[in-house]
Amino acid sequence: MINKAGAQLSRSLMAIAVSLGICLILYIALVSPLPITLLVLAIFLGLIVMGERSGGIEKIYAAMEEHKGEALVVAGIFALLLPLLVSGNNYLLHVVVMGGIYSIIALGLNFQLGSTGMVNFAPAAFYGTGAYTSAVLAVKFGISPWVGILCGLFMAALLGIVFGFPALKTRGYYLSLVTIALQVIFTLMIINTDWLGGPNGIPGIPGYEIFGFSFRRPLEILGMRLPYQTNYFYLVFLLLSLAALAASRLYNSRIGLAWNAIEQDEIVAATQGINLTKIKLLAFSIGAAFAGVAGALYAHYTSFIGNEDFDFNKSLVLICMVLLGGMDNVAGVILGSLLLTIIDEKLRDFADYRMLMYALILIIILIARPQGLLPKRNRKYQIKQDNNEGYNVTVTAGGK
Amino acid sequence: MSLVLSQAINAIMLGCTYSLVGIGFSLFFGVMDIVVFCAGDVAIFAAFSITALVSIVGLYAALNLALPPFLSTVLIVIAGASLTGVLMLALYRLVIKPFENKSALMPLLSTIASGVALRELIGIFYPQGRNPQTFPQLLPGGALSDFAMISWRNLIIIVATLLLVALLYLFVNKTKIGLSIQAVSQNREAAIMVGINWQQVVLITFLLGGFILGIGGFLVASYYDVVRFDMGSMYGLKGFCAAVVGGLGNVYGAIVGGLLIAFIEVFVSAFVPGGTAYASVAAFLMVVLFILFKPEGVIGEKTIEKV
Repeated sequence: MINKAGAQLSRSLMAIAVSLGICLILYIALVSPLPITLLVLAIFLGLIVMGERSGGIEKIYAAMEEHKGEALVVAGIFALLLPLLVSGNNYLLHVVVMGGIYSIIALGLNFQLGSTGMVNFAPAAFYGTGAYTSAVLAVKFGISPWVGILCGLFMAALLGIVFGFPALKTRGYYLSLVTIALQVIFTLMIINTDWLGGPNGIPGIPGYEIFGFSFRRPLEILGMRLPYQTNYFYLVFLLLSLAALAASRLYNSRIGLAWNAIEQDEIVAATQGINLTKIKLLAFSIGAAFAGVAGALYAHYTSFIGNEDFDFNKSLVLICMVLLGGMDNVAGVILGSLLLTIIDEKLRDFADYRMLMYALILIIILIARPQGLLPKRNRKYQIKQDNNEGYNVTVTAGGK
Repeated sequence: MSLVLSQAINAIMLGCTYSLVGIGFSLFFGVMDIVVFCAGDVAIFAAFSITALVSIVGLYAALNLALPPFLSTVLIVIAGASLTGVLMLALYRLVIKPFENKSALMPLLSTIASGVALRELIGIFYPQGRNPQTFPQLLPGGALSDFAMISWRNLIIIVATLLLVALLYLFVNKTKIGLSIQAVSQNREAAIMVGINWQQVVLITFLLGGFILGIGGFLVASYYDVVRFDMGSMYGLKGFCAAVVGGLGNVYGAIVGGLLIAFIEVFVSAFVPGGTAYASVAAFLMVVLFILFKPEGVIGEKTIEKV
């Protein structure tokens, strides 16, 4: 009995340690110069590969799953303290805010790309729809940004359904061409519509306000003056947590299972009674809604949006994030987005080489580790029985 | 009437340049069943290497001392296109072969990424590569006739495309290698079984496709008179659209598709008020509709998936 409790305790300690370790790796990657960041990432990847070789990573996964609560609390506390840890360095906070925004979009994109296997090259269009909706409502009609978030969400979800329609009839290369074409059409429409600011974008977007407290004002807690990015950091962190919760709930629901079934084989999925139309459109509209929220956040955070923020290159970057993190793995997608945002910001000094680096990173990931940092997991279904024996039903999903 | 005619000729020229890239897409898709998305950037690489050969190396001036201008133009274009063919082979080894039997998304992403890389490499390493470069005037520019403004250049672009397609037709239908290419694109396993060296066929196809893309790049740069490092993405996209509208994998369909897209683009920008800005939008919308309602293309067989 005591032995068992001890094992439990050590497993929960392990979960906490792993969670803390990941937070520390992210933190070191964030604050140190580029070479150290890359070194830390290489060590991290090496640890994952070693764990996979020796099978130790399975134990970690099991412990993390069992003690999800502790691990999440540790990560949460770490996030709450982060603005103090970087001692109010507003640039570093800005990087984290952008990482959070991209994570939300990547989580949404993952529903299509990762879960359902539908190629979508237009996540930036959804992101842009959210941003432009909220910005136009605030700047031209004076509507509160809080309402703008909801409107952005709905508009993006609507666009998601429109963009998702081709996915009902085509897939593979044809679907990729359709989504690329729609993404290009989106960018061209924005550039050519004067009402949306055209090539000049929309400047002067107001920030969020709550009970008269403007998010653009420095935050003062415990006698410390933290830059205004802190406010946005907490807001983005809150929304990212909600998005991650929603994404993992979806993954564990029948909808997530149906998405995986479609990814495996569409025809078989249809014969199993899955309503392809509904489920596929759901993947597009929910994913787009995530991106819409992120877009609204971005617009009111930077106070300026232009068409370059939402073009095809941005879509590629977002796809890169999902691939790097690991498709159909919520934690992996968030990790991938944060890491890639950090690396991207470190590369700002070499602005000319940025897209080149992205392209090379993408090719290297595809060749060296196509399953991403944290590969997708086998689904486990367990039927608990009273005598604690239990029998496991393990369903392998996505064994490609 | 004269306006309509001159716009039609304009559209045919543009269509010719699109169809060459479309042919490249279709060739690659035929033998490998993959979409090589960097085709547009490869074509623009040819335009840049020709520009470099002429303006930096001074090859054109040197050749002109010994040869008539027409012949030296042909030689330079062939040199540029051959370079592109070799580049395409290198790309095949680096970013396509590793994904041979993997999910279709991977070669698509890797070729998109290598297209971006190629574009950026040109932008970074070509002298002032981020600025538009004047493309050397290798084709005579004089007007052939005042009616409908047909210039020599227009005529040469159209004739060159026709000639290239005719040569491709002869190559694919009359030579042994061409027949093997056809065999592989019809059924790879069966082709291997009758003793066709599949790897060799793939290499030759990529070399040939790269060569055609190179000539496409030369023609499109001559059409616009300038080359920009980022022209390839749009050019490649239009070429891919041409291939899809014509029926992916069908070389002759790509020509029809290219012409169709060019006609829509040119006529929307010429005859719809305020249409210039929306010409590409109209072309892409047509492609989306095509994929949705006639995915097998203009010329192409309908495939029914079996479980």
